[in-house]
Amino acid sequence: MKASFFKTSGAASIIYLCLGYYIVMAFVAPGFFTVNNTWNLLYNLLPLLVIAIGQTFVMITAGIDLSITSIIAVTSITGGYLMSSDTAIFDSPESLIFGVLGMLLVGISIGTLNGIAVARFGMPAFMVTLTTMMLFSGLAIWLTQSQNIYNLPEAFVNMPYSSFLGIPTPVYLGVIVLGLSYFLLNKTLLGEWIYAIGLNVETSRISGVKVARIIIFVYAFSGFCAAIGAIFYTARLETGSPVMGQNILLDVIGAVVIGGTSLFGGKGKIIWTFFGAFFMVLLDNSLNLMSLSFFLIMIVKGSVILIAALLNANREKSLRTT
Amino acid sequence: MKWITNKTVQSLLHHSTFVLFAIVLTVFGLLSQSFFSFQNLINVLTQASSLGIIATGMTFVLLTAGIDLSVGSIMFLAGVISSKMVVAGFPLWMAFSVVLAVGILFGLMNGFLVVRAKIVPFIVTLATFYMGRGLGLFLSETRAINLPDSFLKIGSTQFFGIPFPIIAFVCVVVIGHLLLTKTVFGKQVYAVGHSTLKSKKAGIKVNGILLKAYLICGLCASIGGLVAISQLGAVSPTFGLQSEFMAIAAAVLGGTSLFGGKGTVFPGTLVGVLLVQCIQNGLVMVNADPYLYPLITGGVIFLVVLIDSLRHLQQQKLKRWGIHQK
Amino acid sequence: MLLEFKDIHKSFGEVAVLKGIRLALETGSVLGLVGENGAGKSTLMNILGGIVPLSSGKMELSGKVYSPDSPNDAQTNGIAFIHQELNLFPNLSIAENLFIVNFPKKKVMGCHFLDRKTAREKTEKILSQVGLDVSPNMPVANLTAAQRQMVEIAKALSTNPKIVIFDEPTTSLTRHEAQKLFNLIRSLKNEGLAIVFISHNLDDVMQLTDHIAVLRDGELIAHDETTSYTIPTLVNLMIGRDMGDFIPRRDTVTSGETCLEVSGLKAGYIGPLDFSIEKGEVLGFYGLVGAGRSEMIRMVYGLDPMEMGTLRWNGRKMHNLNPVKWIKQGVAFLTENRQDEGLMIDQTIAKNVQLAVLPRYTKSLNRVDYKEVGKRSRAQADAVNTKYQNFTTQVVSTLSGGNQQKVVLAKWLLTKPELLILDEPTKGIDIGAKHEIYTLINALVKSGSSTVLISSEIEELLGLCDRIIVMSEGRISREFKKEEFERSAILEAALHHTEEEVL
Repeated sequence: MKASFFKTSGAASIIYLCLGYYIVMAFVAPGFFTVNNTWNLLYNLLPLLVIAIGQTFVMITAGIDLSITSIIAVTSITGGYLMSSDTAIFDSPESLIFGVLGMLLVGISIGTLNGIAVARFGMPAFMVTLTTMMLFSGLAIWLTQSQNIYNLPEAFVNMPYSSFLGIPTPVYLGVIVLGLSYFLLNKTLLGEWIYAIGLNVETSRISGVKVARIIIFVYAFSGFCAAIGAIFYTARLETGSPVMGQNILLDVIGAVVIGGTSLFGGKGKIIWTFFGAFFMVLLDNSLNLMSLSFFLIMIVKGSVILIAALLNANREKSLRTT
Repeated sequence: MKWITNKTVQSLLHHSTFVLFAIVLTVFGLLSQSFFSFQNLINVLTQASSLGIIATGMTFVLLTAGIDLSVGSIMFLAGVISSKMVVAGFPLWMAFSVVLAVGILFGLMNGFLVVRAKIVPFIVTLATFYMGRGLGLFLSETRAINLPDSFLKIGSTQFFGIPFPIIAFVCVVVIGHLLLTKTVFGKQVYAVGHSTLKSKKAGIKVNGILLKAYLICGLCASIGGLVAISQLGAVSPTFGLQSEFMAIAAAVLGGTSLFGGKGTVFPGTLVGVLLVQCIQNGLVMVNADPYLYPLITGGVIFLVVLIDSLRHLQQQKLKRWGIHQK
Repeated sequence: MLLEFKDIHKSFGEVAVLKGIRLALETGSVLGLVGENGAGKSTLMNILGGIVPLSSGKMELSGKVYSPDSPNDAQTNGIAFIHQELNLFPNLSIAENLFIVNFPKKKVMGCHFLDRKTAREKTEKILSQVGLDVSPNMPVANLTAAQRQMVEIAKALSTNPKIVIFDEPTTSLTRHEAQKLFNLIRSLKNEGLAIVFISHNLDDVMQLTDHIAVLRDGELIAHDETTSYTIPTLVNLMIGRDMGDFIPRRDTVTSGETCLEVSGLKAGYIGPLDFSIEKGEVLGFYGLVGAGRSEMIRMVYGLDPMEMGTLRWNGRKMHNLNPVKWIKQGVAFLTENRQDEGLMIDQTIAKNVQLAVLPRYTKSLNRVDYKEVGKRSRAQADAVNTKYQNFTTQVVSTLSGGNQQKVVLAKWLLTKPELLILDEPTKGIDIGAKHEIYTLINALVKSGSSTVLISSEIEELLGLCDRIIVMSEGRISREFKKEEFERSAILEAALHHTEEEVL
């Protein structure tokens, strides 16, 4: 009985943890339960969430994408280059459209490259994305000679703060990505196949799953999500930066595994990742408000990852049986 | 005739790291006269020593089919603690012993969480990565610390014309190599890496082996941290960041498998480390754009992993056809 | 008596798996232990080997009470257990494998180092005992399956056992290699060791053993001299009821129409192969281990690449073969390796059964029609008589081997195959499930589909097939029409080319 309690509640535990923590903080942390701070939370959550969702797709297929930070950096400078009035490649209204499209395209392209290396050449995902991380973050720095790109269009910079029908635009974007990924994973053939590959890739291949295509898709999707995250970050910092997102890799992976997605594939849910990312952001935000410095936040994050791991999937198969 | 060439190609592919190493040496040798000088050899080895020591420890963990993402944090912590202690007036030997103890402690913590709490190594060390760096930032108050000269002296001390970092590097590699090839522990590391279940059945004390592997990795990380700061002369808040990835990459370049049970410290990891360092050094010698270094290093590692995977695919095909490569 | 089981009981939770076993083992004899899966053979041997403790009763070894608390304890008491799954490390050498725990050591400068010389000499001595002439430094990865088995046996013999337990030792051996193993077992017997031999292959059991004990549902049903049994009586004892005609009869109805034609198929040592399958036919493939049957069919299905060859499906030439295409064309392939290639072992029964057919139940926007596919898959799982508690939530790993195989079969039958390829479909499953699978094959063929049946059990092929192709060393050595079926001729054809032996 005890074992099954932990097993079933393991995944859900992050939800209770999140809500419990939120309630406690509402009383403890000064200025936490205010409208302002709630917006703050939301703004911090959205990019992390979107990137973590992409990572969730990859992890369900038993892969990993370490290259997201480099994708963010490359897409950020791409956007900066296409939109900045310094380069003046496009006139102002078009520059926004081409800039955003260009960023998405670059993100998807790098993701596709990862996917092809994993699916077609049989390279281990960890090494592929590790090397593309080095390659593309190097590329971003080299291309810009480590200089930021400024003077982005007003419309782009203001995007995170604009609103439609009283609700900020980023919320729409977040909800769309959340809804789309939930739909893909839970309602479609694509989703069924993504889980199947994570559970047993050979069985999937023989049963007619288009393995290579799906794997390429998940990495491309992760690249797409990272690009969306990069759009957020770039707009908020008002610069295209070649070192953007350098430190969020482990936050993203942390969010996904705290949510209970298994590193061994086949297990993971969008809603778990939502709460995983939410919890990461909550920690940052609340500990900041209590004026705990950021090193303590790191130590707390580390502990939370361990606690979450104790409760969920990432220990079941820890001693491999092959 | 076809088979002869095929076999040559096969063995070249099999040693793709060595082949690339040779190419890198040739190219830089041609581009720069001083690349092959004795002094430059010493330079390469000195610069490689810190990474080499860490990668040697990482090899043990990778051989058990584990991973250690916390080495960069341990390095950082080693740097912060030792510099703080020396600045505060403690003798060097005391600072060093404390640092080594911290490395061992982190290794033990990683190992303990892996074997007792049965949490996946990736997650355990992801967590200790955060904790180590957080602790280091706390102790250093997120500021860079400049080291007293006594520290830098160590980095430049020479024995028979060989700088101290190289001696530390060679010692660690030799000990690592002996442990893996000449002791029961080493053989059991390979067994555990192949399968923990089989190892248990065979009567190997699996938990003990895993614990020791993480301990060695933690210890090597702290030594590597000391060696690195003795050359740098300062500890910045970003010191050691991404070292874990460089160490893993170097070990994998040297033929160590991420899936355990396959790999060597010597020649494997040593060659991987030297390849990475030669590229960096060579690029400096030919006055390449410094921003190109990570680009080219990443590209070379990608190439090696790609060749290795393609060779593996090819071999599987041949195996299915019943043609065994002897 | 060397060893006596006295009223052994064993329960896992509330399930009693052994109910009062009384059995004795003599020195210098071979005891065959047979029974369906789940009859309690493994549990009994695991108790003997110190892997699980008994619930009640006792064992006596040479008249003294024997209660091992670990495999090591059993070993020191002279009991060696050679498991079906070999416990070897392919990344280490033979000597390192033999001495992975107790490696000889020497002291150099106060440190303990491996003493490779002593280990080498010891290993050579042990290997010569089992007649294996390879270097002790050879990595185990470079050995054949039979050689690995010998290393495992050598490892067991190095502990000087009094009793050796063999659990299904012949499954990955060629006939010739199996005979060599039997010779070794006989010589061990003559040296005064007691041998327990567990096997599903009743031919082997009849040939090798002195006594046979039959277990069923945790009880000892029979224990007598081997000469007092025949294979049919053994089968009846094992399953506990008369199955009548064990392999259900079916009349051959050939349509004369070809559905699949393979010509000039070649890769490595396999081929060139030419054959065709008619509609409504069961075509059997027989051959020894390593004859290339599975390799051949994997190429046909596009899982492994071929060097050359053409395939025609219903007269149309097929290019760029892959499972996606074949499933669309109505060809299904149940592979030999159920765990690794047939199932998603941690997934529910429902999702497993649905996997191959999902693309046919998608609506707009790539959405899966869960209602419809759920209904169909459940119906199919029931049609093949899968026993489960909950179709949509129960995970496949909780099912027995036979039921797992039915899940795989249901998955493929749900695709309504015109041609069903079965590679060793009854391997490692119990007799009751075997019978049901035979019935299903017959029903499928009756409805007009064709079947390719690869099997190492001659009886199975003789009973089910309309035609049998015998392969040897990658080539077709002979084809038998139904009226030509004869056990000995088929066996002879399989041995047609002299086997190249590495042993």
